[in-house]
Amino acid sequence: MRVAATKGELLSGERESSLRARLIGRDETALVEVIDAMSPWLLGIAHSMLTDQDDAEEVVLDTFRLAWDKIGTLSPSDDQRLVPWLCRVTRHRAIDRLRSRRRQRIKAERIEASEPPGDRVVPPAEPNEAALPGWHVNHNVHRALADLPTEQQRAVRLAYFNGLSQSEIAQELGIPLGTVKTRLRLAFDKLRGALAPLKDWVL
Amino acid sequence: MNSHEWFVEHRQDYAARVLNPDDERTFADHLARCVACRSAVAELERELEWLPMGVTPVRPRPGFRWRAIRAVLGPRHRTAWAGWVPAALAAGVALWAGLGLREATVRGAELEGKLATSEQALAALGDTVAALRGAARILQASIAMDDHKGGLLIFEDGVNHQWNVVLHGVPPAPAGMAYQFWFICSDGMVKSVELTPLGAGPLFVTLGMPSGGGRVVGAALSIERLGSVGPEPRGKELVHLML
Repeated sequence: MRVAATKGELLSGERESSLRARLIGRDETALVEVIDAMSPWLLGIAHSMLTDQDDAEEVVLDTFRLAWDKIGTLSPSDDQRLVPWLCRVTRHRAIDRLRSRRRQRIKAERIEASEPPGDRVVPPAEPNEAALPGWHVNHNVHRALADLPTEQQRAVRLAYFNGLSQSEIAQELGIPLGTVKTRLRLAFDKLRGALAPLKDWVL
Repeated sequence: MNSHEWFVEHRQDYAARVLNPDDERTFADHLARCVACRSAVAELERELEWLPMGVTPVRPRPGFRWRAIRAVLGPRHRTAWAGWVPAALAAGVALWAGLGLREATVRGAELEGKLATSEQALAALGDTVAALRGAARILQASIAMDDHKGGLLIFEDGVNHQWNVVLHGVPPAPAGMAYQFWFICSDGMVKSVELTPLGAGPLFVTLGMPSGGGRVVGAALSIERLGSVGPEPRGKELVHLML
């Protein structure tokens, strides 16, 4: 099997489409390219929720298995892009694992013990990670989050990066459930607008 | 609010997976029947599809790449019989031959242990080979010590932002001394690891970039007295490489 090196190449929209087509065609080198380009990001997504490297790796391995098995079920006309799809699958699997193990409580206690509620900041990737494909997307997402009011940022971070449900966020922040719902809706409305330019982004 | 309005109102919450588990199940059941909600949720997912990329990337641990390849392309799910049938046959043969089941089981466990160790070594080797083949840049310097001619090789791994460093052909450091690897950074030297060749073979280490010191602009290798390594080399500098 030939192992293709990505060497920090950009994962352009065109290359992403090509990768998707090659994965559907059972091209193993395409799989290796996807693993190389996406592992740090998918591990980041899973680890932010599970806070456990072994669990995060298992989730990402599941994601790669699913991508290999199910990529052909995506319709050719489906405009679902490969990278966001992988991110979503990883996030959903991490949440499933989190909930199935009933670890939210432990996790919330850990967060509470380590920092003030909702202040957990997901720092941008270190500058020396700039060679990693995806850096620019990461930077833009952080800018969009930074533009939100602080209380909305807290709610989004707990929901999106820590995998907490609305009720858990309410408990974590000590605010009514209705307030959490309002904050999240306002935040998501703003983020939809702020992230719209990324729709055709290339990694 | 009628029942469908509740689903309309919670489409975004479902797409973001912030509903409580019971509500999420209720919504998923509805989604299977409602084309409008399915379509709306898909659109909402698309609009926030890049949001997960706001996480801090995590560098894969050594061996992960190979594990991932094996997990997808290797033997997938061992069937239930695959494990116990050979073991049962082996045990039967052992009993038949009068060797005793216990001895066969112990031997099987030993072999499984050896197999696991070999697989780990193979995974590490696979990563090493991939790292060398995928190096963005290779630096090399010769080292002459006494009658030995060796060298230092640095393979820059641009994907994982780390260096794979090979020290070869040098004798073990004299008693009380050690080979010390340094990063040359824009703000000065940053001490890295001691390299301790154990035998005649090359020594291979993977190093992450230093957290301080500014931009890495080169590397150095010196031989230092053990326990006296300061913030800068004091001993003989064997290699001084600039990028």
